[in-house]
Amino acid sequence: MSMNVNVRATGGIPNWAKALTLPIILLVIWQAWAMTLPETSPAPAPLKVVQSFAELTASGELIWATIQSLGRVLAGFAIAMVAGLSLGVLMGSSRIVRENLDPIVESFRPIAPMAILPIAILWFGTGTPAALTIVAYAAFFPLLINTIHGVSRVDRQLIRAAQTMGLSRLRTVLVVIVPAAIPSVLLGSRLAMGVAWTAIIAAELAVGAKSGGGTSGGVGQMMFVFYAYSIDLNGIVVCMIVVGVIALLIDRLFRLVEHKLLPWRN
Amino acid sequence: MPATLPGKSPAMTVMPEDAPAVETARPNAATAPGRRISIAGVARGVWRARWFISLRAFATFICLWALLAAWVSSPLQLPSPAKVFDAMVGLAAKGELLSQTLISASRLGVALMVATVIAVPLGFAMALNRELNTYLDPIVELLRPISGIAWIPLGLFIFGVGGTLPVFIMAYVAFFPLLLNTIDGVREIDRKLLAASRTMGITRRAQMVHVMVPAALPSVMVGFRIAFASAWAAIIAAELIGSPSGLGFSIEWYRQLLMSPKVFSFIVLIGVVGYLSDVVLRTVQRKLTPWADGMGIDQ
Repeated sequence: MSMNVNVRATGGIPNWAKALTLPIILLVIWQAWAMTLPETSPAPAPLKVVQSFAELTASGELIWATIQSLGRVLAGFAIAMVAGLSLGVLMGSSRIVRENLDPIVESFRPIAPMAILPIAILWFGTGTPAALTIVAYAAFFPLLINTIHGVSRVDRQLIRAAQTMGLSRLRTVLVVIVPAAIPSVLLGSRLAMGVAWTAIIAAELAVGAKSGGGTSGGVGQMMFVFYAYSIDLNGIVVCMIVVGVIALLIDRLFRLVEHKLLPWRN
Repeated sequence: MPATLPGKSPAMTVMPEDAPAVETARPNAATAPGRRISIAGVARGVWRARWFISLRAFATFICLWALLAAWVSSPLQLPSPAKVFDAMVGLAAKGELLSQTLISASRLGVALMVATVIAVPLGFAMALNRELNTYLDPIVELLRPISGIAWIPLGLFIFGVGGTLPVFIMAYVAFFPLLLNTIDGVREIDRKLLAASRTMGITRRAQMVHVMVPAALPSVMVGFRIAFASAWAAIIAAELIGSPSGLGFSIEWYRQLLMSPKVFSFIVLIGVVGYLSDVVLRTVQRKLTPWADGMGIDQ
């Protein structure tokens, strides 16, 4: 507050106005440039994008596509969560398991989720299961790595204390190690959700592109249809903005959960 | 040992090479001369060596894959490791593995160079100039959540199907981690270093070259590795959808031709190239910024 007063007193521009300057200038330039083009040009323009957004929302198409994509992300994420957490706890708490599985995990990690797509299509066709596979694969690694990290860095003293009190190994894992690893797991979940959202867009886009559109649904496929069939660049920009907003919301939501669950960390 | 780790005994019976057992065995091997024991010691040493663990992990993995392939019995869905190996040798002999890798790698190189040339100086400027930061930061934060993948359809319109689209997508994807890590690196330069250099009457330019750049470099290098990893993931998607060549294109091309062994060969190649590149980058990072360790930056 005092800073604001100070800024005004010296006659400077407040920070929020500075922050808005460049985006507004760019939008105006974009709009002006689009208006110089002939009416039939497919080039996107800010006002047309807003109009397109209103139409797509009113028809329910955009909302339905978003729900479809989000549903797949959640389902894929759930699969990755089950696999990543259980394997992560195993690898984090047992050195033998970790040593033996590490080379395999490390050699799969540099294989991009999209590289798995052709295999997923060969196995499951171009429907939802292929898309789910990509999402689960993408989300698996951040979850696994962060769970291992969280579990293996649990304070030794806590584990020793639990053992002194005669807890069985299983109970030690459940009661001591897993709760202590939660911060790391939450971080992994946030990262995993981020890559999962990117992966579903990529998967829907590619499945749409490689199967002649139609079958996949979701925001990614919507973009592809706008690109390949209706040539609606304004629609594509609307989808891009939706992708960005959802990514931002996911990130903020997970940060909020981290903040609420782990108040001592902030 | 079992007394202190009550639950560990089942694991020990399955895997006798458990670490505590080896630690107790080593002094024995040293004190008691005799061939038999030292051979056992060597065998144990080999069994516990990193390379051997990797080797046997891969051997197990490939055996499981072969078994699964025999069980699935559809060579289209899961070709056996032997067939994939054959396909790989064939593709390597034709020079296709190398040529497609070179195409993708050169695109990656150009994209990373473009991203670095723009992002690093901009990061320095934004970190040092608060005014510039308030103007530019909103744009960065508005664009950052939009993944590179989401740019593909629009990029296809602007650049068409070809080599430019993957370069654009990768440069976009690599830009943000580089920029943000540069800003962080510059902002977190120890104030005392700056004050000390100023006390010694160093010019602003010399301070930049001799103090700020070396101090921020470790963080920039971390950004570069993240940028590389994201670009490596993005190139597959970009080439798969919008390019007539490269690794991403090849896997999809052979998928459409239903040549599964070749699809798997290229996937293996993507993994190997990605892994080796990261090893190289780590080495460069260690050689280039040996002082990063002391700054608590994770290698």
